[in-house]
Amino acid sequence: MIGDIIGQSLRHPSRLIPEEALLGNCDGSRMPDVIADRLTPAIAHRLVEVCPTTALGINEHEGRAFLTLSYGHCIGCGKCLESGEGAVVTAKDFHWCGITREQAVRRWDIDGRVEIATAGPSAEIARGQIHALLQRALNVRQLDAGSCNGCEAEITALTNPYYDLERFGIHFVASPKHADMLLVTGPVTRNMADAVKATYEAVPAPKLVVAVGACGCSGGIFAGSHAIVGAVDSVIPVDGYIPGCPPTPAMLVSGILEVLRRHLAK
Amino acid sequence: MNQDMSSAFPHGEGISRETMITIPCTQEGAPARLVTIFGSVAPNHEKHVHYIFDLGGPGYSEIVLTADRPVASIARQLPAAAWYERELHNQYGIEITGHPDLRPLILHENWPDGVCPMVDPVDNVPWSKRDYRFLQVQGEGIAEVAVGPVHAGIIEPGHFRFSVVGDTVLHLELRHFYTHKGTEKLFEGRSATDAVMLAESVSGDNCFAHAVCYSQAVENACGIDIPPRALAIRLIGLELERLVCHISDTGGLCTDVGFGVAAAYATRLKESLLRESAQCCGTRYWRGIAVPGGLRFDLDSDRVAQLGQAVAQTFRDFSEIARMILETPSIQNRFETAGVLSGEAARDLAVVGPVARASGIDLDVRRDHPYGLYRKYQIDVPRTHYGDVMARARIRIAEVAASAQMIQEVTRSLPDGNVFTPVTSQGDIRGFSAVESPRGELCYWMEAFGGRLTRCHVKSPSFQNWPAMPFAVEGNIIADFPLINKSFNLSYSGCDR
Repeated sequence: MIGDIIGQSLRHPSRLIPEEALLGNCDGSRMPDVIADRLTPAIAHRLVEVCPTTALGINEHEGRAFLTLSYGHCIGCGKCLESGEGAVVTAKDFHWCGITREQAVRRWDIDGRVEIATAGPSAEIARGQIHALLQRALNVRQLDAGSCNGCEAEITALTNPYYDLERFGIHFVASPKHADMLLVTGPVTRNMADAVKATYEAVPAPKLVVAVGACGCSGGIFAGSHAIVGAVDSVIPVDGYIPGCPPTPAMLVSGILEVLRRHLAK
Repeated sequence: MNQDMSSAFPHGEGISRETMITIPCTQEGAPARLVTIFGSVAPNHEKHVHYIFDLGGPGYSEIVLTADRPVASIARQLPAAAWYERELHNQYGIEITGHPDLRPLILHENWPDGVCPMVDPVDNVPWSKRDYRFLQVQGEGIAEVAVGPVHAGIIEPGHFRFSVVGDTVLHLELRHFYTHKGTEKLFEGRSATDAVMLAESVSGDNCFAHAVCYSQAVENACGIDIPPRALAIRLIGLELERLVCHISDTGGLCTDVGFGVAAAYATRLKESLLRESAQCCGTRYWRGIAVPGGLRFDLDSDRVAQLGQAVAQTFRDFSEIARMILETPSIQNRFETAGVLSGEAARDLAVVGPVARASGIDLDVRRDHPYGLYRKYQIDVPRTHYGDVMARARIRIAEVAASAQMIQEVTRSLPDGNVFTPVTSQGDIRGFSAVESPRGELCYWMEAFGGRLTRCHVKSPSFQNWPAMPFAVEGNIIADFPLINKSFNLSYSGCDR
């Protein structure tokens, strides 16, 4: 058997994805991006109409109309890509995780065809900064508050040889009592609400709570159901939001680091 | 349209006035296999109970009962009906007589008595604190161990109540539905074509099977055929999902017995297929591809061919790992004779999927009720009668080989042409569809009026198989529970919906 293992290991080169290629990458998530100079009022209205989760909206302010895109609500269904007539494309990179829901929202002036700059996107995290941020030890406890298991599948993937989360000093722990950070997935169901609160209480302070996925950030496709309470922040205080349905492992790594960076910068 | 039942039961006809159904029999005279039971409300506010059976032929058979009087339970004759009847009682407030256990199944203690979400208004339901009694096992030296809903790991929530003597489990009671999201109710009122997004979020790792099954139900209801290229790509997606799921489960079993090397190899193979999928269709788990009428967009033929090559490579690597697993004595020692599900228990509870096949039940929707491109394929159904963890592992390993071969064949001979047929749904439509998802038989039953869903029922293989799991755990030591649970690999969200 040892021979087999050595043989396997020799035949397969390392699959580890370098840090630079990981940060900001969102391949396979189908998050949308808007090409501002192709935007027209007609397209903007159609986009809002086809969006199944109110991720896209139009706000009027002082006589001007703005298209808003809330990534926390987006389930990456691709409807806007189909009906955007080229004004919406799949995002090439993603820097829209935030410590408030507002930081995951982008705005475009529809008539002026320009994006209104908000807090993000942040400057890219420098390679050296990562270890300073984490000090090589962040214990994470994942908590499923009612998710469909899509986010869990992607969080589990973080420990595979491609992402190897342990290289950043991030460990998944079995008990909330050992955790610095709770990664909460799913809309909080009525049946899980008490368990979510109890788990939060069990994490020793100081602690960070990060809502993961469209459901965790906003309720996602399940918003409005009688059997859910709502997004994670309707039950416990939330310190960070990672959008996506589900967020890819690369988005999860970038999101966790981005949330930490913004907290330290506060 | 083998799976289509809509024409056989036009609205109102076939409805018996009796309060109990006669359980149908197969041609051989044995009681038919129960597929699902669910409720619906007719426009005249009458409550109906739908029973779907598998009589052994290519079609399924549906019996509709009007629940104007209490409905007699069939759980004593068909134990598989027990959870379905509890769900009916809970969600529709239908009175069930003669049921051995009518404790609330889906609505936990926080729901007030008498609220039945599928028929009652559900805005601002007050919070309550009801009682829930677990079965108590009494005797000298018996202890209770409560586990969950929050488990030690990246897993979905559910509660397990073990009654143990020392290390040995005497009885295990499940308490699930923590992830109940009211999905079936949420379907109602949605556009029949767009609701596929909700179907994709029923069980995240089987999302393509759910999307295809829902789409097929709508296509059956409208009586449309989809283009051959769309059928071929759907088959690739379905088999790839099975491949990914079974590779991941085999790795998971290795994790649970501390065989980290093989587990790490399996996660590498899984990830390579997910990355190839993202290249091929834009999403890692084939989300947002299947829609009623075919596919949302066409896939690039070269990319699909590349996917076929990646599958071939993955299969070669996996075969080596599988051999390593099956030939390692310490693995054999842990897998063999652990968590035996007897053929009798499996048949009584009408289990489906790899779990059923590992306990000697010859059942595969792809062969028995063929749909899509599977009509053209000869499906070999692997089967063993041991029913232990090793049997379930062997079934999965055998199915990886079959799926890999099928994907390669289809990617080599991908038909040309378009991938979408427009779906037009006017008036009252009803459709049913069954798909062999990686966990087993998955069914959707939908009804729509003027293009809007009025009811959509999801029969998830996990809902069917969960009640069987405790029977496999009894008599084992509690330390083997994670391994046995993993060998079933059931979805909590799929079950709880």
